[in-house]
Amino acid sequence: MPVLRPDEIQQYDIDTIAIRVFLKALEIIGGPRKLIELRNLTWITSLMEAAYAVVLADQSLKTEDEIAEFLGLTRQTVRNILRADPELVMQKLEGELQEKTPRAHTAGGLAKLAYKEIKEGRDYLNFFIYALQSASESLGIYWPIDVLRKIKGMDFPVGKEELAERLKGITIKNVPMEKILEKLEYPVKSPNDLLHRIRISLEGGD
Amino acid sequence: MENLIKESIKNLNEVGKKAPKLEGVPSGVEGLDELFFTSRIQDSRALRVPLGGIPRYAIVNLTGISDTGKSLMVEQFAVKQAARGKRVAFITVETPAAFLSVGLKERALAMGFQESDEIEKNIYIIDAASYSALREDIKVLLDTLAYAIKTYKIDFTIIDSLTGLYEAKEMLARTFVRQVYNFLKKWYQTALLVSQKRSGHEELSAEAAGGYAVSHIVDCTMVLSKRTIQSQYDERVYKRPIGELIRFFRIDGCRMCGHDTDTHLMEITDLGLVRIGKSLKEYLQKQ
Repeated sequence: MPVLRPDEIQQYDIDTIAIRVFLKALEIIGGPRKLIELRNLTWITSLMEAAYAVVLADQSLKTEDEIAEFLGLTRQTVRNILRADPELVMQKLEGELQEKTPRAHTAGGLAKLAYKEIKEGRDYLNFFIYALQSASESLGIYWPIDVLRKIKGMDFPVGKEELAERLKGITIKNVPMEKILEKLEYPVKSPNDLLHRIRISLEGGD
Repeated sequence: MENLIKESIKNLNEVGKKAPKLEGVPSGVEGLDELFFTSRIQDSRALRVPLGGIPRYAIVNLTGISDTGKSLMVEQFAVKQAARGKRVAFITVETPAAFLSVGLKERALAMGFQESDEIEKNIYIIDAASYSALREDIKVLLDTLAYAIKTYKIDFTIIDSLTGLYEAKEMLARTFVRQVYNFLKKWYQTALLVSQKRSGHEELSAEAAGGYAVSHIVDCTMVLSKRTIQSQYDERVYKRPIGELIRFFRIDGCRMCGHDTDTHLMEITDLGLVRIGKSLKEYLQKQ
């Protein structure tokens, strides 16, 4: 009887996901530069811890005790991170940013919000473009970078008119973007979703 | 927002078109397939029609205290599907793959299947007993199962046991089971999940079956139990000598189709096969 080989076990890199959450959380609070300006880089430690806690709890279903042991935090701190309310945090973020060290629930709320964004395909776009650039150049496929650059700062999900406005002038494989956008389904949920739909359309799919 | 609403409505309409056909999957367990029904209208009256097996695409929780025949039943199910040419993913959390394969071969022989390529090639074992990453991280397990389903075109999934995946963290039982359930539904699997009943309390219900309120999530729950004849009263009622073991089986609930609601006698043959017998009601009436 076939037994799945060790190389078929689909391991995932928890560090990468935690870093993506961390970067997205940084983007939400206005980027690393904002923390430098406010002289409170100590937030970085708390955000990183919260990013790991949220990923470990949601992806791996680790308990509060397991997460506390992994991060070297108390169980209560982990609990505060995981029970934070992202909406409440966003409401009072401006005031909190003046504090040198965020409370666990602030870091937790931000990490939870960032994690939700990542799960819905909305990574920190600037970093994503940068990471994709060299790969695109190696492969000789430039249109994803062109599209991503044009949609920087857009709030997803988006409709056809908003995309047409941003992407006008782009041509992919000699097909004007207006024609491509005609064939897509709306609303488009995220930048990833947009690239995926454009690719399917270019390949002649629905 | 308007687009989003339109999209949701369109999706709801499409759901009807995607609804799977209700049909039975032969289980390989004698006496079990006759316990599931569907209905047919004849002369304006609903008639009970046998389904011929457990409902396809059902996520079934098979529970019971220790040594009641849960693993034997799922092994019989796996062998039966493999013999029908269907592919099965068997996630073993308790017994390492090498030992499980011996058990499956024994079960196949007892069921009358000569050593055949069909059975050998159609059961794919995912060995969570030996690889801790599979046992300890639900994402790794489900990603690996998704890989197996896609790569090997699998239609049936068995997990023996589900409770082995969340030992020492039972407060997360519902979260675990919900994730597994949603995953299996997404991939259109027919699945048997073994769960260890945590107490002998309410022995023929899903009470304490694999954790608090887990049975509310799955489509169907079957409960196995056993009892030793210890009193003269039992001896008289069951017509068995003191010291002998008597086994019971009951379908506690199934939201996908009609089913028999009686408690049935059950036996494990000396070749290690589970058989579902008469209903207890019928048995006691005959006595």
